[in-house]
Amino acid sequence: MTEKIQFDVVIVGGGMAGSTAAAITAREGLNVAVIERGQKPGAKNYFGGALYTHALQEIYPDFFDRRPPLERPVTETGFWFLSEDGVVKMTVQGGVVDNDPIDAYVALRAEFDPWWAEQAAAEGAFYIPKTLVTDFIYEDGKVIGVKTDRPDGDVYAPVVIICEGVNNLLTQKLGLIDHDVLINKTALAVKQLISVPAKDINARLGLPDSKHGMAISVVGDVSMGMPGLGFLYTTSSALSLGVGVTLEALQETQIKPYELLQRYLEHPFIAPLIEDGQLMEYGAHLIPEGGWTTMPKLYTDGAMVAGDAASMVNAIHWEGTNMAITAGKQAALTAIEAHRKNDFSAKTLAGYQDRLSELFVFKDLKQYRKMSAFLENHPEFMSVYPNFLNDAMGMFFTGFGKPKRKLYKDIFRKLTERRPLFKAVGDMVAFGRAVTGI
Amino acid sequence: MTRRFWVFIEQEVGTMHPVAGELLGVAQRLVTEISDELEASGEEAIVEGILIGCEVEDVARNAIEHGAERVYMVDDTAFEHYLNRPYTEAITNLVRKHKPEVFLIGATTLGRDLAGAVATSLKTGLTADCTKLEMGPIRKAQGKYLLATRPAFGGNVIATIVCKDFKPQMATVRPRVFESPKRDPKAKGEIVREDFKVTPDMLAAKLVEFIQEEQTQLNLEYADVIVSGGKGLGKADGFNLIKELADELGGVVGSSRAAVDGGWIEYEHQVGQTGKHVRPKLYIAAGISGAIQHKVGMQDSDYILAINTDPNAPIFEIATLGVVGDLYEVIPEMLKQLRAKKGAQA
Amino acid sequence: MIHLLVSVKQVPDTTNIRIDPETGSMIRKGVPAILNPYDAHAVAAAAEWKRKLNGKLTVITMGPPAAEIALKECIEMGADRGVLISDRKFAGSDTLATSYVLAEAIRKIHEEDPLDLIFFGKQAIDGDTAQVGPGAAIRLGLPLITYAVEIREINQTEGYALIVRKTERGREIIKTTLPAVLTAEKAIAEIPYASLPDLINSLRYEPENWSAEEPLAYDVDKVGLKGSPTWVAKSGSPEAHEPAETIIVAKEGLSTTVEKVLDNMLANNSVASIWEEIK
Repeated sequence: MTEKIQFDVVIVGGGMAGSTAAAITAREGLNVAVIERGQKPGAKNYFGGALYTHALQEIYPDFFDRRPPLERPVTETGFWFLSEDGVVKMTVQGGVVDNDPIDAYVALRAEFDPWWAEQAAAEGAFYIPKTLVTDFIYEDGKVIGVKTDRPDGDVYAPVVIICEGVNNLLTQKLGLIDHDVLINKTALAVKQLISVPAKDINARLGLPDSKHGMAISVVGDVSMGMPGLGFLYTTSSALSLGVGVTLEALQETQIKPYELLQRYLEHPFIAPLIEDGQLMEYGAHLIPEGGWTTMPKLYTDGAMVAGDAASMVNAIHWEGTNMAITAGKQAALTAIEAHRKNDFSAKTLAGYQDRLSELFVFKDLKQYRKMSAFLENHPEFMSVYPNFLNDAMGMFFTGFGKPKRKLYKDIFRKLTERRPLFKAVGDMVAFGRAVTGI
Repeated sequence: MTRRFWVFIEQEVGTMHPVAGELLGVAQRLVTEISDELEASGEEAIVEGILIGCEVEDVARNAIEHGAERVYMVDDTAFEHYLNRPYTEAITNLVRKHKPEVFLIGATTLGRDLAGAVATSLKTGLTADCTKLEMGPIRKAQGKYLLATRPAFGGNVIATIVCKDFKPQMATVRPRVFESPKRDPKAKGEIVREDFKVTPDMLAAKLVEFIQEEQTQLNLEYADVIVSGGKGLGKADGFNLIKELADELGGVVGSSRAAVDGGWIEYEHQVGQTGKHVRPKLYIAAGISGAIQHKVGMQDSDYILAINTDPNAPIFEIATLGVVGDLYEVIPEMLKQLRAKKGAQA
Repeated sequence: MIHLLVSVKQVPDTTNIRIDPETGSMIRKGVPAILNPYDAHAVAAAAEWKRKLNGKLTVITMGPPAAEIALKECIEMGADRGVLISDRKFAGSDTLATSYVLAEAIRKIHEEDPLDLIFFGKQAIDGDTAQVGPGAAIRLGLPLITYAVEIREINQTEGYALIVRKTERGREIIKTTLPAVLTAEKAIAEIPYASLPDLINSLRYEPENWSAEEPLAYDVDKVGLKGSPTWVAKSGSPEAHEPAETIIVAKEGLSTTVEKVLDNMLANNSVASIWEEIK
């Protein structure tokens, strides 16, 4: 006879949301277990990418004193609009960006996630790795624990916080959402991490030293007409380059993800950046793109869901980890309150959603709720406009000797050749609405 | 003072294991490498075999015909079947009596069972699975010592090990790493019978039953033609195609470690550093990347054909000829053309 | 109550090696450390028998402090006690010195609580020597059964075990008195997927730490570099080879490729001699 395995809170998944929820609840003195299916936290996580300081400091005010494993700070950021053989770069540095501390840092999940989990473990959270949560344990229709794939693997807790990531199978099992991930609302991003000596990175990107870094959203030719974006991030001595497009687009075009990535890396203005570089990592991950439109119900009796599993990603802004951290914290606070009241019903756990409504997480997701549909319906945004921009600026700065009036007409024609004017106006309006949520 | 270079003459069921012949060849070469020292000191060096068994005089003769100038033989019914303790005791007894300088043992199952026990009993150094052996100088010491070179870290590093202050300097060598010297039926040598009493305390472990394997012994190590499959096969069934080609060429089936680890084929077929060393006339590697652990086991083949979809696979570095293509296309085509050629001959 | 012991080693995962493209040598940094696969199977077998006979399983390892992780993996598989034998003085030990350290530790454990069967993995995947198990058996004066693929029976009352070992020619069933030492092949047991209580147990477990002095005083001349008759005189990377001539099927076409292959093969004397025999 084995003893019942019992905790005050069980968290499914040791990523950004899960380890945050673990830290906050453990800090309050609750007996918390995090069940992670990977060999260790972070084993199943992958991103571009950058972490946002505001969220990290909110959980640990002394965050930087703890010597977190971060790569370069993002001191220059913006857009690169790629045409087939050109690029228009629009980035900002200094001024508002030059904060203390910098607002975003490039990171490697395989390094950061285990560290983030260690901080939670230091607060008292107990991590159970290499174990998959397969289902829930119910009593009178309420969640009172989880089943795992190990023998004698039932774990009991009056409240379960689901932080299982983009493949939200448990969230579906619980009935919080009535469908699996949608192929038009989920992107597949592939990337390579290519090691380049730090001084070469600095020279090639015009960075003053290794304490400066870049995070770039790459738009245009990189996604071959499909809805999606490319990215470039600088780690201390490597470049992280990748591209993500929706699964539906890949299925329709039959373009293979590695072909897409390879093309990006061979672009005439990208290839020189990685010359003589060594491939260190090659990986891929799904990204939830639906945001508000694919958000599940966030709570039920005995359970809440946070992070990617809850579709909390503002894809176009590359914001997901900060939403996950924030949501993880709010779920934790709600769990703490539930324990205080000894009431784990949906009524009490609704407080989680109430808290989120006041914060940027909900507000932004709601505001950007039209974005994924917009991109799906306006594929030309990723091809026409970046190409036009390249042409426009290129022609503007080279059309010497031609009367300017003629030049402007020629430039204008470059747009109307590709897109009738009224449609272009409509695109801009639609884009404006997608961004503002109006 | 006679400097003795010993080789363990492994035998089972009265037949000498070929590795003993191979090591006698090595021992002879080692002796030539110290000829300068011998001249200077006036000493002699001799290659001797040590043989344990029951009714094994023929084996002793065989050893002599492969280069042993003398064979110490312990011949007794107690040694009919190999058992670790009696063999270890008998050997260490003889080592202490005759004090060889170098002692080589074949790294077969039996040899590896025996060597560690013997070396520990004698409190001397032992280097396993050597791919190169030579007598040479070492730092801060006079004279030549046995330089035992072997792959380490799964074959990613080549290390040379020495044992300076202890004798005998012991080494094990896998079969087929070295070529056997030609058998000389006219060779002259002495057989010295040695007595050794096996006491009951040495028989704590006893052979109760021996079960011959159903299939005839694979004999991968001595095959002339080997067709090997690796991870690139994608599945266990892939070995059916490998077998077809092997059969067509009159050869046997080999494998990389990855395929064995994947459970697609038995360990007997594994070629490589922790598998078997082979030196066939023809080695065909299909779907094998050629990691160093594998290369070490087959790089001495006369002709190596590699088939792989990855043009950067390391196997192409040691292949005589490489084909960048899908083995599931190439091999059937090879079979077709081979059969056509055979048909044309008929 | 039956008492089993397994000696394990934490090794770099040599199947997952990268070579530095500039120096051509192995990159040692960042190579994951794992429980030696043969040892893992030995632990699985021992745990199976410990449960069958309602006994106890002790696991020991000689290694750096990080080897504690390997011990915890063994607790996860069902071991009851883990002992980490770690000391700077052991650094540089070859197989002779290592078998000394382990044999003495086993002797001490046996004094406190008699052992019935002692397991080693067949070999460690970094050294690949297969010498430590046999060395320990000799030092302990115990019968040795290498290449064990199956334990048929352990009879504690009558003091014997039936162990099957695999040789090139077939299988031998060995009957041995106890205690005895065996070295295990992977076939001896499958590695189980641990139960959640066992996993949680291993996560909370703190192994015992033994040094070169406590609780057992080792003879310093027999450990480390001092106690090692062999040492590495030289090490380096394997030689690079010239790349071979390659034919690309996509370029030449399948049948042309194979034609060229067969022509090239038959032009080689060794292959030609084979062709003579089989044609």
